[in-house]
Amino acid sequence: MASSQLDVGRDGLSKLRSALPFTGRDWGLLLVIPGVVLFSSFMLYPIVYLFYISLTDATFAGSVIGGGAELIGLANYVQLLGDPQFWTSMSTTWLFVAVSLVVKVFVAVGIALLLNHARVVGKRYMRAAVIVPLGFPGIFTITVWRGMFSDARFGVFNTLLGRYNEFMSALSAPQALLFDVPIGFLSGRWEAFFAYVTTEVWLAYPFMVIIIVSALQDVPKSLHEAAMVDGAGWLQRFRTVTLPAIKGPVLFASILTAATSFQQFLIPWVFNQGGPARQNELIIVYGYREAISFNEFGLSAAILIVAIAFVGLFMLVAVRYGGLAEGVGEE
Amino acid sequence: MSVIRSFAALVAAKLVAFATAPKRFVLTVRRAIYDLRTGKRTPWDVAKSVLMTLFGLAMVLVLLFPLFWIFAASLAEGTRLFTTSGIFPDPSTYNLGAYRWVVFESDFFFVEGDWGYPQLVLGGSGGLVSFRWAGTETGPGAVFNSLYIVSVTLAAGFGMIVPAAYAFSRRRFVGRKRILYGYVLFTQIGAGLSIATLVALYSLFSSYGLTNNLFVLGLFYAAGAIPFNTWLLKTYMDNIPVSYEEAAMVDGASFLETIREVILPLTKPGLAVVLIFVWLAGWNEFIIAQTLLRPENYPLSVELYNIATEGRFSTPWTRFAAFANLFALPVAIVYFAAQRSVEDGLSFGGMEG
Repeated sequence: MASSQLDVGRDGLSKLRSALPFTGRDWGLLLVIPGVVLFSSFMLYPIVYLFYISLTDATFAGSVIGGGAELIGLANYVQLLGDPQFWTSMSTTWLFVAVSLVVKVFVAVGIALLLNHARVVGKRYMRAAVIVPLGFPGIFTITVWRGMFSDARFGVFNTLLGRYNEFMSALSAPQALLFDVPIGFLSGRWEAFFAYVTTEVWLAYPFMVIIIVSALQDVPKSLHEAAMVDGAGWLQRFRTVTLPAIKGPVLFASILTAATSFQQFLIPWVFNQGGPARQNELIIVYGYREAISFNEFGLSAAILIVAIAFVGLFMLVAVRYGGLAEGVGEE
Repeated sequence: MSVIRSFAALVAAKLVAFATAPKRFVLTVRRAIYDLRTGKRTPWDVAKSVLMTLFGLAMVLVLLFPLFWIFAASLAEGTRLFTTSGIFPDPSTYNLGAYRWVVFESDFFFVEGDWGYPQLVLGGSGGLVSFRWAGTETGPGAVFNSLYIVSVTLAAGFGMIVPAAYAFSRRRFVGRKRILYGYVLFTQIGAGLSIATLVALYSLFSSYGLTNNLFVLGLFYAAGAIPFNTWLLKTYMDNIPVSYEEAAMVDGASFLETIREVILPLTKPGLAVVLIFVWLAGWNEFIIAQTLLRPENYPLSVELYNIATEGRFSTPWTRFAAFANLFALPVAIVYFAAQRSVEDGLSFGGMEG
């Protein structure tokens, strides 16, 4: 492929060649173009089309295809801004991203530190075991978590809480420390939100642990030893040696997992379809439901365009300031 | 063949490492006792190590609790799961009934588990009396749809990712920076994005008559996998010194030979990771598949989802668990065999502090 491309160049088409914006040197572009074309046609084109739908009054797929929809400008977006459900959904989504991110970072750093600790025997096997969740499909693990959070009296967590109550009662602990079982994990607003966050953290921690552990292992042992010699305590060593080493990777992992949290669809959908009473509809679920359950294609498209714009903006900022694209610029 | 052999060697090495782990553990314990006796370590020092290890073990158990639970559940067909007796089913009732159901009654391998049956043939080309396997009457099941989708995804994905990653890593060309920048922007916009565009996708696919088409669906998954995996493989190739290729060139190797003899062998771990990720892209997705396909073309992921959501409170846990285990296990095994590569691959991108 390479030489033929160069041959064409040598075939006396030099005039045309100099007029083109690229030269024979640029044949690498040919290796890249198929992927760009495939990606654009299946990912970028639908986004553009989605934007078009968001400008119409389409109500269901047939009206989009059959040309029954008419352009109504930005009416869908105006309607969206006046829809209280949109604001509920937006704030819930951001809260979900923020809370789960904070918990994720603490959990993952804790696990990584423990499984990289000199005193833990067999930490390599524990590390291998701990990242198991990554290997299973999301629909599987999320459904399992729904089972754990079952509202039923004998659901897994309710049973565990019951055991805990018995144990605490046996110690004659004050009533305030007991739980009021069964807890309707999926039927209360904040209970369901708590269930979402727990599951999201569980799904994302392996990725963060992998990244943090590999950063921790790059810290030279001598650095810790030198700090110890200087009489630095655990906290001081953590602040001066460990933290600078893992700050970059943690930021990197945070950016990536926050972007996926924002687009979380499966957890709310499988747990209780964003319920109860639409209070926990994360933004993608909200858009999906408007189209599938309420036949509001135009409005749904507007919601999803807003969501995509947010994620795009987020990634743009992250790439620019998070150093995500290191290695792009080097020439 | 060599791929299979090296994979088998990898799995064997892992198994050996696991099998000899207790021996090394005993050695560690002996060492600690010896140190205690000779006074090299104080009892408090050893106790701290023991406590930390126990703490680590407890944490692993807590983190993996959902998986233990569902695995135990898959062995309990015919018993009631949510009862007063506890979370885990009684071990004396363990049975493989749920797995039997998946193989012989569900649509996993063949529709309604109809594998066909041996048939006596009189006369014919096979002599006077011969056996032959009568084919299934209901047709192939979901696993064949899944495999078909995944093969398209893998073929298209690899055909586009590997050359592009090479070009990004080794060539300078017009628009390189811009395209790469765009890819990085899209690395983390995978599943969520395809659900977000589902409304448009459905309309587009319908108007082009592409719904219910497994081939196009496979291409679609490949398209979604391109940005992240191209970026991943590109960073991997960046770590191969250019001097290796130059040395090969000096020795008279042609361009294609350097690719075959230098680049590809050295990128093998990266290729393994990309293989896993691209495979998962085609194997796990189900929302798009469910929307675009008709029931006879459902892959395993959609079937699994349907089992899970048969009723809000009545998920048949044992059957679901058995189905899901058979669905996820092949991938999980490959994943753990290549775990080291996956870890290296995921911590990519100049992330050293």
